[in-house]
Amino acid sequence: MTEPERRSLAGSGSGQARRLEDLLPLIARGDESAYEALYDQAAGRVLGVITRVLRDPAQSEEVMQEVLLEVWRTASRFDPTLGTGISWVMTLAHRRAVDRVRSERSQASRELRGAAAAHVVDHDQVAEAVEVSMDRQRVRRCLAVLTPLQAQCVDLAYFGGYTYREVGELLGVPTGTVKTRMRDGLIKLRDCLGYDGGAT
Amino acid sequence: MSSGDELDIGPDSQLHTLAGAYALDAVTEAERTAFSRHLADCAACRQEIREFQEATALLAVANRAEPRPELKASSLRAIGRTSQLAPPVRNGAADPGPSPASGRPLRGRSMRPARRPRVQARMALAAAAVLIAAGGVVGAVLHDQVQQLSQSQRQSRMIAQVLTAPDRSMRTENVSTGGQATVVLSTRQRALVFTAHGLRSLPVTESYELWLMGPRGDRPAGMLAVQGGMAGPAVVSGLAAGDMLGMTIEPASGSAAPTSAPVMMIATAS
Repeated sequence: MTEPERRSLAGSGSGQARRLEDLLPLIARGDESAYEALYDQAAGRVLGVITRVLRDPAQSEEVMQEVLLEVWRTASRFDPTLGTGISWVMTLAHRRAVDRVRSERSQASRELRGAAAAHVVDHDQVAEAVEVSMDRQRVRRCLAVLTPLQAQCVDLAYFGGYTYREVGELLGVPTGTVKTRMRDGLIKLRDCLGYDGGAT
Repeated sequence: MSSGDELDIGPDSQLHTLAGAYALDAVTEAERTAFSRHLADCAACRQEIREFQEATALLAVANRAEPRPELKASSLRAIGRTSQLAPPVRNGAADPGPSPASGRPLRGRSMRPARRPRVQARMALAAAAVLIAAGGVVGAVLHDQVQQLSQSQRQSRMIAQVLTAPDRSMRTENVSTGGQATVVLSTRQRALVFTAHGLRSLPVTESYELWLMGPRGDRPAGMLAVQGGMAGPAVVSGLAAGDMLGMTIEPASGSAAPTSAPVMMIATAS
């Protein structure tokens, strides 16, 4: 992706678009104004993905606060050689949302198929659910490149919080196939979204 | 729901097929742990996961929502009450540069005590000496750390207290996933100082966590920041009779209770 695009991704929605990977080392040293800048840039995205996975607004806010506090607490662990700042933050957020949704599912001990019935996916829905804004348009364009099965696998896993084994059960597809579709789906997404392999 | 009871994790070549599921968080805890170990040994896989995570981050950020304005104030209040993990131990701890362990030699660094009362300087040197016995590198880092942790002087004081306690004892234990842990403990102070070196690096989504495990149950004893394979020194206080110190690999956000088998256990009874 081009440099302006990368920057807009890291900073859109905020007047002062400081890159998260610049803010995180400051936060690690206790700089509260850097944390505030990160909050302004990232809170909306963090809440967005959590809400997408959890669906419950009140719970999602709670998890968002946990994640951001985790960013504050563990900022010293951010390693820029392993990825961008936004990727680090979103990985924390997504992981936490998935953990929560799984523990709720197991608490409710609902039948997997029953629970998943509400989450019927088709290709259009995936693209539809991910929309608005420039980022969304780009993501949408790239999701359209996936085969329907790849899109279903990515969607059920990433937004549904299911393991690949569960995805296989839900779709009636062998788990080996699911693993492969997840991987080649992500390769397509990566190539389409233009991740450039390590430029900083 | 099915969990990790039927791990189909075979040789590394097969593990690699898990990369997509891993990046999507579509694996069980057990698989995550296994795959993370695989990552530590596979630079190409790390690169692939890095690229995948940038792609999934884009999926994530495309779902922006607007938090209620009052949440910001409460978040800012929350950080005021929340202590942070100490910066990872690295050469020149003040250097915020993004390069990982820079490879400057540790052993050659001068060991002069900074401006401190002489007694305290002697304590710090004694403290370093204790660990130099276990491994010079760790000791030198510890010495640096004792001097540089202005951010948490109380912690360095506690470290010095444990390391100079008359009843201190030291033990070392191998970490099953690689590396070695060293503990200096004082029963009387019910505290220990933990350091480790040679630890395998973990993906950013995971970290080592310490636990006190004993008759009083498993209590979290701190997340470890690892830099260049080294962690600590970290003070663990509140030891109770019969406690063991355990280390597990947990999600980076930490866990309320261990979610995987310890990769290191060390007895704290004297």
